[in-house]
Amino acid sequence: MPYDPTLVQPMRDELVQAGVQELRSGSDVENWMKQNKGTALLVINSVCGCAAGMARPGVRLALKHGKKPDRVATVFAGQDTEATQKARSYFADVPPSSPSMALFKDGELVHFVPRHMIEDRSAQAVAQSLTAAFDQFCAAK
Amino acid sequence: MGTFHDDKGELHGITVAVDTRGKEILVGRCDTITNTAIILNDADVHEDGAGGKSKADYLKRAAMFGVFKKHDRVAVPLDEVTSIKRLSEASDPSARDYAEGFAHAAPAPAAAKAEGATATATATKTETAKQVVELTESAQAEVKRLVEAEAKAKPGVGLRLGVKGGGCSGLSYKLEFDTKKDGDTVIPYPGFSVFLDKKSTIYLRGVKLDHQKGLAGKGFVFHNPNATNTCGCGESFSV
Repeated sequence: MPYDPTLVQPMRDELVQAGVQELRSGSDVENWMKQNKGTALLVINSVCGCAAGMARPGVRLALKHGKKPDRVATVFAGQDTEATQKARSYFADVPPSSPSMALFKDGELVHFVPRHMIEDRSAQAVAQSLTAAFDQFCAAK
Repeated sequence: MGTFHDDKGELHGITVAVDTRGKEILVGRCDTITNTAIILNDADVHEDGAGGKSKADYLKRAAMFGVFKKHDRVAVPLDEVTSIKRLSEASDPSARDYAEGFAHAAPAPAAAKAEGATATATATKTETAKQVVELTESAQAEVKRLVEAEAKAKPGVGLRLGVKGGGCSGLSYKLEFDTKKDGDTVIPYPGFSVFLDKKSTIYLRGVKLDHQKGLAGKGFVFHNPNATNTCGCGESFSV
């Protein structure tokens, strides 16, 4: 059973307030993925305290880095199920996990951070893993 | 850090790779570790060599991307476990092995040989076997009666308990007469033995087999503490 939306709202806000676009439906995801030029980071958000608690601050920290993706969006696993399912269809070979993060370049998946690389890590460690990928694939802003 | 359930141990919520003394290696999110088993949620099981992939090949890909879950919940007997590592560190030989913290975790076969302890390891396996599956007195009596009849035509026959895919809740119990096979866990009872293959040992850990007689009796009945769902007929379950 999904968590109460009121309890989840602060977890959504944590990313939205950092400039991350929230995708709530399958068509939102489809439209966002259609603009496939440049680099794009998709964050699969989740309630899970064991991992997501550090994933969101990690993303916020990473987005302060010199090089970062052209576009950043998020879907919420367990809440916006249609959007999440649609998002995962763009990397169907990768086992689903949440939280997780997918970095695309020109519509192609170039880097993926699965849940097990987030759980029990600090926000700084999560950010470091993302910024290493940003340095490799993204342009300076 | 990060977990809301400190009472469940430091690996609670962490994705781990659990290697066993057999062919199976499992990856799943650790729920808890009891005195007898490690409980994994959203787990995948790989058999060494399946799909042309060794345990190491499987682990390498799992460490990069994670795994597609095959089971909602699995209990892996600690006496089958040879190592428990965080999946994120699983391919690092120097990473902490949490199985080393458990006195009852099985020694790897090579270690047992090095210590000249093969006989001890075997004895331990037999000693703990009854913790895997227990037969009530009424079940023992009925199985003994049936096995004695069956053994006239097939010497050495015992009762094989197992699981197979299928049934309305995902897995079905298997109960048949058979002889011992390599790798089986053997549970000796007066007058007969119970055999379980390695895979079934994982699913049947803690199961009690009862036999109910009389007009309202159901015959053989499984009581499974690992089952999260059981179908109405009681013949299938999921974990």
